[in-house]
Amino acid sequence: MKYLLMIYDNPETRAVFFGEEGAPLMAEMDAIMAELKESGELVDTAALADPASTKVVRSGGVVTDGPLAEAKEHFGGYLIVDVESEERALEIAARWPKVHTPMEVRPLLGEGGEM
Amino acid sequence: MTGRVEDLLRECAPQVLGALVRRHRQFDLCEDAVQEALLAAAQQWPGEGVPQNPHGWLVAVGHRRVIDAVRSERASRAREERLALLEPPPAQAPDTDDTLTLLGLCCHPALSPPSRIALTLRAVGGLTTAEIAGAFLVPEATMAQRISRARKTLRGREFDTPGDVSHVLYLMFNEGYTASGGDELARVDLSTEAIRLTRMLPPTPETTGLLALMLLTDARRPARTDAAGDLVPLAEQDRALWDAAKIAEGTALVERAIASGPLGPYQLQAAIAALHAEPGETDWRQIVGLYELLDRIAPSPVVTLNRAVALAELRGPDAGLDLLRDLDLPGHRLPAVRAHLHERAGRREQAEADYRLAASLTRSLPERRYLERRAKHTREWR
Repeated sequence: MKYLLMIYDNPETRAVFFGEEGAPLMAEMDAIMAELKESGELVDTAALADPASTKVVRSGGVVTDGPLAEAKEHFGGYLIVDVESEERALEIAARWPKVHTPMEVRPLLGEGGEM
Repeated sequence: MTGRVEDLLRECAPQVLGALVRRHRQFDLCEDAVQEALLAAAQQWPGEGVPQNPHGWLVAVGHRRVIDAVRSERASRAREERLALLEPPPAQAPDTDDTLTLLGLCCHPALSPPSRIALTLRAVGGLTTAEIAGAFLVPEATMAQRISRARKTLRGREFDTPGDVSHVLYLMFNEGYTASGGDELARVDLSTEAIRLTRMLPPTPETTGLLALMLLTDARRPARTDAAGDLVPLAEQDRALWDAAKIAEGTALVERAIASGPLGPYQLQAAIAALHAEPGETDWRQIVGLYELLDRIAPSPVVTLNRAVALAELRGPDAGLDLLRDLDLPGHRLPAVRAHLHERAGRREQAEADYRLAASLTRSLPERRYLERRAKHTREWR
């Protein structure tokens, strides 16, 4: 079962993660990532650049600057994992270092059908 | 010639690996050794001719490679241990079937179910890592790691706890059966692979029942999706599209299995599938009876759900809904069945609500489309 683990952040948590005090957090993330790679559970992962560099494209091709919503938290990065159960996906999310912002765990829609 | 050698090698590979693993235990070393032996054979045989005893040739070459690997591993680790002279395993196929030993090991309970399927496909099915990754829709690197970890986990494991091979093959079949869509043609078909491997199992009533269940289910595959790729429920399928040869074989197998010994869940499911495949009116009375039996010997919420569907056909939708009242089954299936039964009872509002709920809960794109279509249909006909 594939899950998307959505990492949320805001300017403060970003500053922490990418600053000096973020080093141990980064090390923690690297360790989890290495473990997921080794177990064959990691499908894909990426960190996103700052929300300020976001462009919004609307129907008709109108392009504007900035993220879609004026939210306190922004989508900051993701992992896609292929795991045995939802429990396992939640366990991975629980171990992911979080400063203040939560993480979302969401199943992917597949092409398969049971009928 | 080349094609024949390839077929022969694919057939021999699991037996050779089984023979080496039984002898040396080190699953990962043995698998590498078999790969090298197969490569050597693929290079030499087409030119020099196939040896008298291809199996023995491969075992002997593989055995030498294992010894070399063990030797260099020991040499690099510490030189204190002197390698005992290992006798090569007997070249003739021994009395125990090495393929079955290997299957049991690949399905070892220490491995997670997805790893068991992946390793079985690789070591017994002879598929490449890329093919297995494609079948599971994950990157090749992900699958390579999964297999590599499974191989390490099996290092030095004993064979006294062989895994539930039937169950792993059953899961493999379902994985293939439910994975429709996408670039299907380019993908290895896991259902066909599961059927091929199930044919290798010793014929007990339950393994025969499992093979019958797979054949009878697989027979319906051409009718499961329409030209647009949308799912077609069993009752609306065009029976002319069902594979008659598979139905005939499956039906004969399940009859033989049931006549020959103790009844089990695979036989019962196969018997139900056989009744569904019979021409003419569906015998719901018998199907309900079989589901009741199945719910007694292998109770599960999914069986109860299927029993309710059958009961509704026999005694009306409310009889089915009664059975579902206290059922605890997370996911989309319960609301989908409830929706169907409400629809049949003429309660279109409840049906629509349940179809929408089911649509929001499914993890499958074709199912989502189907359920949304049903919801729209109940609204329009209200």
